[in-house]
Amino acid sequence: MTKRKWLLVALVLFGVTLLLTLERERIFPAQDRSWQTIQERGVWRVGLDPSFPPFESLDANGNPIGYDVDLAQEIAAAWGVQAEIVTIGFDSLLDALQAGQIDSVVSALPYDQRLTKDVAYSMPYFEAGIRLVVRTDSTLSSVEQLTNQKVAVEWGSMGDMIGRRLQREQAALQLAPYSTPQEAVEALINDQTIDALLVDQVTVRTAQGNGAPIQAVGPALESNPYVIAMPHAAVTLQEKVASTLRTLQETGVMTKIESQWFDHSK
Amino acid sequence: MLAILAIGGTWLFVRYRQPSVALGPQRTVQTINPKLGIHTRLTDEVEPWKIKRSLEMVREMGAPWIVEYFPWAYVEAKPGRFDWTHSDLVIDHANRQGLTVIARLGFVPEWARPKETSPLYLDEAHFEDFGQYAAAFATRYAGKVNYMILGNEPNLSLEWGYQPVDPSKYVALLRVVYPLVKAVDPTMQILAGALAPTLAPPGDAAGINDLVYLQSMYDLGAAAYFDILAIHAYGWYSEPDEPADPDVVNFRRAELLRAMMVANGDEEKTAMITEGGWNDHPRWTRAVRPGQRIAYTLRAYEVARQEWPWVTAVCFWAFRFPWDAKSYQDYFTFVDTEFEPKPIYQEVQRYTQGDIEDTSSQSVP
Repeated sequence: MTKRKWLLVALVLFGVTLLLTLERERIFPAQDRSWQTIQERGVWRVGLDPSFPPFESLDANGNPIGYDVDLAQEIAAAWGVQAEIVTIGFDSLLDALQAGQIDSVVSALPYDQRLTKDVAYSMPYFEAGIRLVVRTDSTLSSVEQLTNQKVAVEWGSMGDMIGRRLQREQAALQLAPYSTPQEAVEALINDQTIDALLVDQVTVRTAQGNGAPIQAVGPALESNPYVIAMPHAAVTLQEKVASTLRTLQETGVMTKIESQWFDHSK
Repeated sequence: MLAILAIGGTWLFVRYRQPSVALGPQRTVQTINPKLGIHTRLTDEVEPWKIKRSLEMVREMGAPWIVEYFPWAYVEAKPGRFDWTHSDLVIDHANRQGLTVIARLGFVPEWARPKETSPLYLDEAHFEDFGQYAAAFATRYAGKVNYMILGNEPNLSLEWGYQPVDPSKYVALLRVVYPLVKAVDPTMQILAGALAPTLAPPGDAAGINDLVYLQSMYDLGAAAYFDILAIHAYGWYSEPDEPADPDVVNFRRAELLRAMMVANGDEEKTAMITEGGWNDHPRWTRAVRPGQRIAYTLRAYEVARQEWPWVTAVCFWAFRFPWDAKSYQDYFTFVDTEFEPKPIYQEVQRYTQGDIEDTSSQSVP
């Protein structure tokens, strides 16, 4: 062979080696037995931190309760297994998942793009981000209409940060800070000089559930979707979670769970 | 073939070179509180414009002081071969913004510790090597950096490289490093301590109570080997006027450390708070509401200004991270990773510009 051909062969070999190195996991996926193991033991081990009602907390007897507990049990029931709730501190949940101590995390866990290299996420099941909220009789429907409006926020919160951003970027709106999100909700309901509120969706749903005549309008201004986390290699488990979540949404079970934990006034 | 290599090389150079960023004109910090500072976190910030922007925003917030970390392992990855590129960048930009740098040194290179150990593991065999790094640092930045912290939270096993915590070894470290630095720059002010506030009971493998540890340092003769005491003053869930109590971790725990300095004949020395503050994570048990965090922070800066003549700088943790930690740590920051100021940044800025006269109120403005 000529020198040029040798060089060509070397380049091709280098390219193939590089491709195999970079795409090793995609070309030769690791054998994963997560799904079979869950089936064999009849238990889906779910990690959560029971310190965030109404998503997860402990009842008077120390048993985990909440939206996420019910969601995990519904998913497990659809698979014909039991959901075993393992309580773990929030900052240790993903470590426990990667260490194999649990099969999944269902704990009002916000999606984090940066961690997608470490864990696999399900589709979102709850959008907890910052919303523009108005009274149910208000004609306001978007942030573009906030010029010269008075907007309640929890002082220092993400809603406050977005309000200040809106002030810088476009609207001559006035911010009215309150010590807690609940006080900001009360102000929107009872103080007619307050036109709108910037607050997270969990606060909105909690207030609505207690009968507050308020509604969120427009999309989330800062998205914060809650997702289920699973190991990367657990491909079958990921598929089963995705299909079961879709089924629970289509059959109204997700709506029922949300209502169960938020709509106390009904 | 040569043409292909030339094109590829040019592409790589253009793609990966870091464009230099002009230092800009000399600036000064406008503030009503000359003690106000912040711990920046530029160690892993690789883009020069982000380093400059961070330090500009610190100045614009009205903070004349920063604490910044200069890891030994990054600068001297191989023995005797120093790479000061990143340190130069941080210090030159900080100086140009009118900021006073308190340099925190630590993080042991692989060559100076046994295999499989943490980068925080430093044994006595390498105290001299660490001292040589500190001396090289002092030499290079003579006239630019006048304050240097040796070590970080040595009363925690985690921060002591998972070795059993031992005040005598930390004092031995000070005894070796202090004279090496003073020999090259007698004006360099050496900070020691930087103890983690902890109520660890006797025998706890995780660490030693900071009050117990500091007294041990004095008993072992540490006073001769530091110039300023570095204090970590976290408030956790307590407001800044909660009285100091040996059984409580709160902001005024700093007063107990000060009392210990006085009791040990060290009252002529001053102290600097090189970490501290409050956190507003919605789910962390040691966090407060965002509004409380703002109110407590402003009040704490004012406490140091008005009530603590023995404190010369208060540098809270932390200005900004290069990327989200996606944990409670993100809720210590004043600016997000995209440089968007959090409300606490803007409220501190209002305070330093004299727009908030009364910080005693702990409710909304």
